[in-house]
Amino acid sequence: MPPKNLKRKATATDGTSTPHVPSLAEQLSYLHLPRPFKNPEYTKNLNRRAKNLKNIMGQERERERAEREKRRLEKAEKDAQDTQDAMDVDGKEVVEDEIPTYLSIEAPPSVLPQKHYCDITGLEAPYTDPVTGLRYHDKDVYALIKEMSASTAKEYLSARGVNSIVK
Amino acid sequence: MDIDLQTPDEVDITPLPFSTSPNIPSPPGNYSPHRSQHTPLIIDNGSTNLRWGFSSFSEPQYGPNIVTKYRERKTNYPLMLFGDAVEVESVAKSQAKTPWEGDVLFNFDALENALDYAFVQLGIDTPKVDHPVLMTERLCSPVHSRALTSELMFEQYSVPSLAYCVDGIMSFYQNNQSTGESFISDGLVISFSTASTSIIPVLNGKGILSHAKRIPWGASQATDYLLKLIQMKYPNFPTRVSVTQANWMFRTFCSVSPDYISLLRSFEDPSILRSHQKTIQFPFLMNPTSLFGGATGNGDEKTEEELARITERRKEQGRKLQEIAAKNRMEKLQQKESDLMYLTSLRDNYSSSASKREWDRKLKAEGFDDEEMFEETLRKLEADVKKGKKKEREKEGGIAAGDGDDVDEPMEEPSFPLVDIPDADLDPSSLAEKKKQKLLKAGYEARLRARKEREAKAIKDREEKAERDKQRETEERLDFEAREADLEGWAKKLKGEQEALMTRIKDRMKRRAAMNDRKSAAKQERMKNIANLAAGDERMPGNSGKGNTEDMFGADDADWAIYRKIVREGFDCPFNSTATLSSDEEEDLAQLQQVEQKLLTYDPTFTTQHTHASIISQRSALLNAFRPVYEEGDGAGNNRIHLTTERWRVCEAWFSPSIAGVDSAGLGEVIQNILSKFSEEEKGRLVKNIFLTGSPSQIPGIAPRLYSTLRPLLPPEMPINIEQAEDPVLDAWKGMASFARTKEQFRMAGMTKSEYEEMGAERLKRWWGSNWNGGF
Repeated sequence: MPPKNLKRKATATDGTSTPHVPSLAEQLSYLHLPRPFKNPEYTKNLNRRAKNLKNIMGQERERERAEREKRRLEKAEKDAQDTQDAMDVDGKEVVEDEIPTYLSIEAPPSVLPQKHYCDITGLEAPYTDPVTGLRYHDKDVYALIKEMSASTAKEYLSARGVNSIVK
Repeated sequence: MDIDLQTPDEVDITPLPFSTSPNIPSPPGNYSPHRSQHTPLIIDNGSTNLRWGFSSFSEPQYGPNIVTKYRERKTNYPLMLFGDAVEVESVAKSQAKTPWEGDVLFNFDALENALDYAFVQLGIDTPKVDHPVLMTERLCSPVHSRALTSELMFEQYSVPSLAYCVDGIMSFYQNNQSTGESFISDGLVISFSTASTSIIPVLNGKGILSHAKRIPWGASQATDYLLKLIQMKYPNFPTRVSVTQANWMFRTFCSVSPDYISLLRSFEDPSILRSHQKTIQFPFLMNPTSLFGGATGNGDEKTEEELARITERRKEQGRKLQEIAAKNRMEKLQQKESDLMYLTSLRDNYSSSASKREWDRKLKAEGFDDEEMFEETLRKLEADVKKGKKKEREKEGGIAAGDGDDVDEPMEEPSFPLVDIPDADLDPSSLAEKKKQKLLKAGYEARLRARKEREAKAIKDREEKAERDKQRETEERLDFEAREADLEGWAKKLKGEQEALMTRIKDRMKRRAAMNDRKSAAKQERMKNIANLAAGDERMPGNSGKGNTEDMFGADDADWAIYRKIVREGFDCPFNSTATLSSDEEEDLAQLQQVEQKLLTYDPTFTTQHTHASIISQRSALLNAFRPVYEEGDGAGNNRIHLTTERWRVCEAWFSPSIAGVDSAGLGEVIQNILSKFSEEEKGRLVKNIFLTGSPSQIPGIAPRLYSTLRPLLPPEMPINIEQAEDPVLDAWKGMASFARTKEQFRMAGMTKSEYEEMGAERLKRWWGSNWNGGF
C-alpha cells in the first residue's frame, strides 16, 4: 500500500505547491497515526467476514439443537443408570438450569387480547374497513380511508406489521 | 372555502436543531501513569456508543460506534474517521459501518477500527495492549460474536486476560453496591438498549440468566416507527426527514403515558388534542418560485415580465408570418396577371389574324390542346385575378369577410342543354356529355338548395334567440320583483331548492356506492330488472311457437325508461381517477350552481360556507386538529410537522409491541411471565428493587406506567419499588470500573490467554455478572 499511496500523492500535487491546509476530515482521521499495539503477525481469517446476520442466527439455531440432542442423550443415559441404582427421586440435585442462548431468551408472543388502534390517527378503533383491512376511529377517518389508493393502504398496514402479498 | 386555520402558538413551534460540526478531539491522553501498571481496561461496547477507559478514570471516553474508511475526493488521501467525525463529509457518511447490526456484533473490521481509535486515544504505544480487559456483551450473545471478539483481543492486541460481562447487571452493581465485599443484592434489572430490551432477575448478586428475557424492541425500532408514521402522515412533505432527525424528535418529544387508553379517549375533544400537540418547523425557502424564475427574491414579478415578453415575441412572429404570406400572395397574383395579359394579348394578336391553323399551332406551342382549353384557362385566370384583387381591396379597406357565398359575384347560371334531350336522340359522345352535365346540374341544384336552407335556418335561429332573450328578461324581472317584495321568502325558497338538489346528489352518490357493493339492495334490484327483461326474450324459443312471440320491447317509448334504473350511473373507469358523471348528475350540478350563485349575490346570510362544494370538502374538526392543513402558498406552514398521538403511540410499543407489528409480548406481560417462575418469597425480593437502566430508560413516564402495570398482577401487600439508575448512560461502565478495582474478584472473572488457547474462542469464564452460554 505505501508505494501506491506515494504515487497517487505525486499525481495529485501540481507544480505550484500551496501549503496543504488539512481539512477537518483529515485532522480527525487517525489512519496515519501509529498503532504499535497491533500484532503485525496476525492475519485475519478473511473468510469469516462474509457472514451476515441470517447465517449467524442459523448457526445459533443449529448449535442449540445439537446441545439439546446431546443433553437428551445424557439424560437418557442418566435415567437408565438411575433406575439401576436405588430410586432416590427426592434427591434431585441439579434441575439443570437450562443454558440460555440468544434465541431462547427471546420474549414469547403475547397471549393477552390485543387492543385495536386506529391506523391513521392512533386513537381507539372500534371499526375495521373490510375492503382494505385498516382499522379506523370514526366516520370521518373512514371517508379518508375510502379515498386512499391501494398503495397507501398497504403502507399503513405494513406499519402495523400486516404484510399482505395478495391484492 | 374557509379552512379552520390553526393560528400557531409561538411557544409550541420548535425549530429543527442545526447539526454542529464535531470538535477536534483532545489529543491522546497521557499514558505514562498506566504504563506497565496493568490497569484494567474497561470497554463498554454499546450498539450506539462505544465507551472506554482505564478503571482509574472516573468517567469513560466515548463516541458513537461508527467507523468509516474512505478516500478524500480531492487529494485521494485515504482517511479513517470514528464516531462524530463521520458527520463531517457526506462521502464518509455513505460508507460508514458499524460493528453492530441491531443486537448482534458481526462486522469485525469496524470493531477493530473502533478499538484502534479507543486505544490511540488512550495513548497506548506499547507493542501489545498489556492490560486485562473487561468488555460487555449482549445478553446471551451469539457465540459467533464472542468468538470473533476474543480472537480479536487475544490475537490482534495480545491482551493478557479478558473478561465478559452483561452491561445491565454491572449497572445494577454500580447502584446497589453494599458496603461489604460481596455483592448480594436482589432485584429485577430492566435494561433498555438500542435494539432490544432485556429483563434480568438478579438474586443474591447472581444474574439468573435462564429466566431472563429479551424483547426485540428498542430505541432504534422506535425511531424507525416514528419516522414511518411521519412519512405516512405527510406524504407530500417538501423535505426528506432523515433518521437522525427522527431520532432527535423521538428523544425530545416522546414519552410514555401512564394510562394510554384514557389519554386516547380524552383526545376525542379536538381542543385537548391540539393542546397536546408539538410542532416542529423545518427550514424552508421564502419564495419557491424564485428558484425557477430567477436569482432575485421577487420571483413573481420576473415571471410576469417574462410572460409578457413571451407573448409579445409570439405576436411579432405571427405578424411576420402574415407579412410573408401577403407578399407571397402578391407575387402569385402578379404572376397570374402577367400570364393573363400575355394570353389575352396572344388571343388578340392571333384571333384577329386569319389563319386558323396558325392559331392552332401557336396554341399547341403554348401547351393548349385546343381552343376550348385555352378559353377555359383564360377564364379561370380572369376569375382568380379578380378574386385576388378583391381580397386586396378587402384587406386594405378593412372589410370583414362575410359569407363568402353571398359576396361572390353571382355565378352565371351554368346551362345544361343536353339534359333535357331524351337519351334516344343522342349519340354516344353526347351521351357521355349528357351524363356529365346531369351530374353537374344535380350538384348545382343541391348547392342552391343547401344555401337556401341555411339562410332559412339562420333566420329561424335569430327569431328563437330573440324569443329566449325576451323570456329570460321577463323571468329576471319577476325574480327581481319577488326579491324586492320579500327577500326572506325568496331566499328561503331558493334555499329549499338548493337543499333538495343536494339531497338528490347525495342520494345518487349513495346509490352509486351501493352499486359497487356486491350484496346491497340496489344491486339486487338491478339484477331483478335485468332478469325480467331477459325473461321476456327467453319465452321465444321455449314456447311451442304459438303466435308470434315477437319482442315488442321498445315499440312503446315508456319501455326505454327502464334503462335509467339499470345503467350504472357514473361508471368509474379504473384508470380514471375522476368518476364520469352521468347527464342527470351534471344537470343537477349545473342547476345547483345557478341557485347558489343567485343566493350568494343577493342573500347576505348565505355565505360560501353553505355552498355544496364547501360542505363536501369539509373535514371534521378532529382530523383538522390531528393534521392541520395549510394553504398552498404558506411556505412556513407547509414545512411543519405536527406530532400529536404519535408522541405516546411510539413509546406504547414497549408495552405492547404488536401495535408496531412486532410479534412479541410487552414489558408488563414478560415481567409477569418471569415472576411466575419464582417462588412468592423470591418474587417479593425481586419486585422490591426494580431497576431501570440504559439510555432509552430516560424516556419520561416509564416508572409510573410500569408501576400501574405491575400493581394489579401482584398481591397488594407486596411492595413494588421502581428505581432508575443514577446515570443511565454511563453507569454500566462505572460499574465495570468499580468491579475491576476489586483486584481479587476481577482476576477470577477473567479468562487468560492460555485458557483461551485451550478452550477456544467461544467459551468464557462464568461468573456472577457474565453470560452463561459457553461458560466454564
